Parts: sequence; structure tokens; C-alpha cells
Amino acid sequence: MLKRLTRWSRIKSPWILHLNSGACNACDIEIVAALTPRFDVERLGVLLRASPRHADVIVATGPVTRQIKDRIIRIYDQTPDPKFVVAVGACAMSGCVYRGAYNIMGGLDQVIPVTAYIPGCPARPDAILDGVVKLLGTL
Amino acid sequence: MKFQIPIGPQHPALKEPISLRMTVEGEVIRDVDIRLGYNHRGLEKLAEQRNWTQNIYLTERICGICSHSHTTCYVQGVEKLMEIEPPRRGVYIRYLVSELERIHSHLLWLGIAGHEAGFDSFFMYTWRDREVVMDLLEMISGNRVHYAMNTIGGVRRDVDTALIQKILDGIKILRERSEFYFKIGANEPTFVGRLAGVGYLSKENALALCAVGPTARASGVARDVRKNDPHAFYDEMPFDLITADSCDVLGRTVVRIKELMESYKICEHLLKTLPSGDIAVKAPKKAKPNEFVSRYEAPRGENIHYIKSNGTDKPERLKVRAPTLANYPATIEMLRNGFIADIPLIFAAIDPCICCAERTVELVNARSGEESVVRFSDLRTLAAKRASNRTAKGNVPWPL
Amino acid sequence: MNDEQILEIINTRFAGRVRDVSHPHARRIFFAADPKDLPAVIAGLKEAVPGMWYIATISGVDLGETFEIVYHFGHDNGAVNIKTRVPKAAPHIESITSIIPGAVLYERELQDMFGMTIERIPDPRPLITPEDWPAGNFPLRKDWTFERVPEVIPGGKK
Repeated sequence: MLKRLTRWSRIKSPWILHLNSGACNACDIEIVAALTPRFDVERLGVLLRASPRHADVIVATGPVTRQIKDRIIRIYDQTPDPKFVVAVGACAMSGCVYRGAYNIMGGLDQVIPVTAYIPGCPARPDAILDGVVKLLGTL
Repeated sequence: MKFQIPIGPQHPALKEPISLRMTVEGEVIRDVDIRLGYNHRGLEKLAEQRNWTQNIYLTERICGICSHSHTTCYVQGVEKLMEIEPPRRGVYIRYLVSELERIHSHLLWLGIAGHEAGFDSFFMYTWRDREVVMDLLEMISGNRVHYAMNTIGGVRRDVDTALIQKILDGIKILRERSEFYFKIGANEPTFVGRLAGVGYLSKENALALCAVGPTARASGVARDVRKNDPHAFYDEMPFDLITADSCDVLGRTVVRIKELMESYKICEHLLKTLPSGDIAVKAPKKAKPNEFVSRYEAPRGENIHYIKSNGTDKPERLKVRAPTLANYPATIEMLRNGFIADIPLIFAAIDPCICCAERTVELVNARSGEESVVRFSDLRTLAAKRASNRTAKGNVPWPL
Repeated sequence: MNDEQILEIINTRFAGRVRDVSHPHARRIFFAADPKDLPAVIAGLKEAVPGMWYIATISGVDLGETFEIVYHFGHDNGAVNIKTRVPKAAPHIESITSIIPGAVLYERELQDMFGMTIERIPDPRPLITPEDWPAGNFPLRKDWTFERVPEVIPGGKK
């Protein structure tokens, strides 16, 4: 009974933490544009939170640079279970145009385990919404 | 008693991960140390392994908000290296997209300034209007951000008369909305009181530290690459160079809103006098050994690309300096002797490709070593309380 | 002040200390100087040309046996670029932050990416390489190559 309640509250109101691991900011602006009146992700219950300890879903962008790799692992460990990681944009999936550079790890899944991938360069806010809804559908 | 406060690299504010270490005494900041490197993607080394056309897509992804500025700067330089001249219609379309990008970037920044000052409705309003510009850009180029319009020798897509009419209608709507924001910015005493006097950068410091863009122009430095070093047909466009004398965040806001108005003027001029003809010329694959310094005014300041060729189809050296890097020494100066509660506002005022949400600041008590996490929303309410205790500045006379 | 006047100043005031003065495009002037004459030339230009307080960036180019350092200045009507060369075996050059304080970040980047030593620089820390970067690796040198770590595709073929 309690399990059903918690599962319902997780689906109806996932709180996200936004993480930028060295991206060009296009995907980040599209994530924030998803909060603005036109696309309005808050009607699905999604709230952008400050601290990893409050978050259910980590939404990450950017090809992971060497400098930020340790910090990402630390943030992932700080997020309480159950947690989901969504990689937004081509950079977080495989490095986009930066593949092969000396400072790039080559995608988010080289560093932390990823649950969902949202392609695009940048991913449109509609696509981000679609990805979040599909993720919630699998819960 | 001095404390060291680290801010970043991950914070819920949407900026490039960057670490600021502030040494504070009480609530006043004494020194700032900026640590870069979180966003270093090794672009210049990658550019030497790709040919001239592939580098357009690489330079586009340096920044997501001013992506067209980087490609324009690069393509202008390569065209001069290869000694080809793009046709007039192509250059006009290129500048049309640049000015639309400037409009979208300044509206984005206004939203951030509103959010950092605690004025969330302003944020939602400006971003809703920004969607008008994004739709126009999508109609012209096919994508909301990273419109791959430039190619060496011109542009890739054309605009037809129906689209021109839509753009003109869109600009009319935006112009009315911008005048409404101008009025709010001028007459809303809490907004003005929050921004005035914050982040002071004197003119001598702006000159010594080589600040660029609206940050420098708000301190009275009359430097704009579109006026001082006009490339191609920019010297035929009717617009003014906007400066302000108040040297603080309020001045920067004013400069950006007025630049919006100038951009509307330029867009309308470009659309009404669009010449007919081709949009691109064919570019050779290899470039003779040559070098060129290409400068361009991005929404944030001056963008400079130094391109050197060696006779092959790959560049010998591509050096890029984005405008926000040039503003870092000036930011350090602005943050000194400011208050902790003003950090988000000052840092947002140089427009470092930010977007917003809450941030966390971790305070380390040097004596006892205990850590406490303070939310920026708490800092913001603290600042609002402090601002409301000051005597209201009343309506600031406009224009500044 | 237009290009002809600046060329006049360069050729008369700094005659003997500059070489290869060229004016390839409108509003772009290039010339070369020796590292020991550089501070005097920059200070002289800053005082003689209005608007020359601004340095845009400092680029380094790896030419094999020497490094070429290009200082890009912007004035009220264009750009003046000063080139200088240092040998790769002994890449030392003096800092210009005493004349133009805003140049410190660009000089730190030269130290980072090419391994040059900038003397009397106010802040000698590396600028953009990560904290765990192994010393002695200078990414923008032409002879520096790196071995890319092969990626692990989660759930896919190894």
C-alpha cells in the first residue's frame, strides 16, 4: 500500500537536477525553455531543484570533460535511490562533434549509468518532454 | 576573519560549470579566484584535424546561445583567406540571422536578470516573447538553435517574400513588448533599487582590464566592433552605439534593452532593402598560406578568431577567444567589495551564457570547520530585505 | 586614426625595432618585433594611438622549431597585430601585464597549452587544463599526440 503510494508520487512529481558537464549551453537553454509558459513541464509535476539530495532524476548535458568527471561521480553518489539519469543531447550520448578530443571522456555513460537518452543537437523542448514522459511510463 | 566560499562547478544555475572561490569577511567579498577548465573541450586541436567546411559545424558548437556569431566570425575570416567575396544577398541574410540572434540573446538575458533579482514574472514574460524569435529562426533555418546557415561563400538557405512578411510582423510584436519591458524596467522601484549601484566597474578599470561588450559599454567605453571595425556592409546599417554612464548592473540592463531596439531597426532595414541575386559563391577546397584576424560583435562582446592556413584543406591554426573570457578579470574586480547576496546578479550581468534556477552556496566556517549549505533563494530574500531597508531611489530619470 | 597614420607612427617611431610591416587588408596591420623590444613597442603604441588600451587575445602558433606569438590589439578603427618568435628549446618571454593588466589570462593560456614560460606573470597557475593533468603535456604543440581511451558501450559489444 505504501509502495503504491510512493510509486504514484514518484511518477506524478519527479524532481529533477540539472547538470552541465561542459556543454555548449544549447541543450541547457532548451531544458530551461521547457519550463517557460510555452512548453511548461511544470504541469507534469516536474520541478527544478537546487541540490542533488532532493532530486529524483538527474538531467545531464554535455560531453564529460576530465575536470568535471570526479564531480559528476560525487553528485551521482549524493543523489538518493531510486534515481534515474537522463542524457540530453548528442554530446551526452557520445560526444557529438568533440569526439576524439583529449579532454573529453566521450559521453555520459562512460562515467555514470544512464537510463534514458534524448537525441538532438540541441534536443528540442518537445523532445525533452517526450523523453521525460516515456521515462515515467516505464516506472 | 576570512572565509573561503566555493561556488560551483555544479550549481543549479544553468551555466558552464565554473568554480569561483570567494574569500569573504562577514558579508563582504574581499577576493575572488576563478577556476576555469571544466568546459575545456580541446577545440583548437580538433580544428586542425578537420577541413574548412567541417570546422563550421565545430565552431558553431562553441556556444549554444551565440552560435551564429562564431560561425560568422570564422566564415568571414576564411572567405578573406581564400579571397572570395560572398554576394550581397547572402551577406544580408547572414546579418539578418545575426541580429535575430542578438534579439533572442538579449531577451534571454533580460529573463535571467529578472530571475536573479527575484522578479520571476518578468522571466516568464520575456521567455514567452523569445519564443516568437525562435519560431522565426526556425522558419528561416530549420532549427531553434545551431541554425547552420553559414557556408564558406555565403549562406545555405534563402528567404522568400512570404517569410519576409512574417519576420516583419514578428518584429512589430516584439517591438511593442520591448517597449513595455522598458517601461517596467524604468518605473518599477524595487527592480531599479535592486539593480542600481550593484557591481560597480569604473571606466579606468574597464579600460585596464580590457572588458568587452555591454559590460564595457555600460561603463562609458564606446567600443563596438560593428561601428569601429565594420566588416562588409555593416557600415551601411542605420544604428547607434549605445553606452551608459552608470557603470553598474542597471546600466548594463539599459544598454541591452536599447540594443534590442537598435537590432529591430537593423532587421527592418535589411528586410526592406534585401537585394536580389545569388546567395553563395563556390569556395575552393584549399587555401593558400595566409592569415587573418576576424572580429565580430557577438551579443556578449567581441569575438575574435585568428585563422592561419598553410596551403592544405585544413587550417594550420585556429584560435578562438570568446567574449566572456575577456570579461573575467573585470568580473573579479566587480565582485570585490560587493556582498555575497549580490553574487548571482553580478555574475549574471556579464551574461556568461547563463540560465537560471536556484543555486547552492556552501559556507565553510574557518574556525570550527562546519559546513552549512545556504540556498541562493535565501540569499536572494536576504538581499531583497536589505534592499527594502535602503531608502528607495525613486524613479530614475530616463534615459540614463 | 586611420591605417596610414598608424603605419607612419610605426615606421618612424619604432624604426629599427620592427620588421615586416604589412597592411594586407583594410584595418589590419601586422608587424614583427623581437622579444626584447616588445614591451617598449607596446608601451609606445599604447600611448601614441588612441584606443590602443585593448588587447583582444594572444595566440601561439607552433612552427616546428620556434613558437610564434601574436599579440592582437584593437584600437578605435581596426586591429594591430604584433608577432614575435621564441625558440622552442628556450620559450621564455616577458609578461606585458605591467603595461596592460588584462592580458594575464591569455598569458596563462600560453603557458598551459604550449609550455612557454612567461616571466614576471602575476598569476602563474594553469588556466584550462584539468587538475589531474600530467605535467609536461602541452596539447597545442604539433608533436603532441594522445592515445584515446577506448570507450565501453554499456550493454553492447566490447
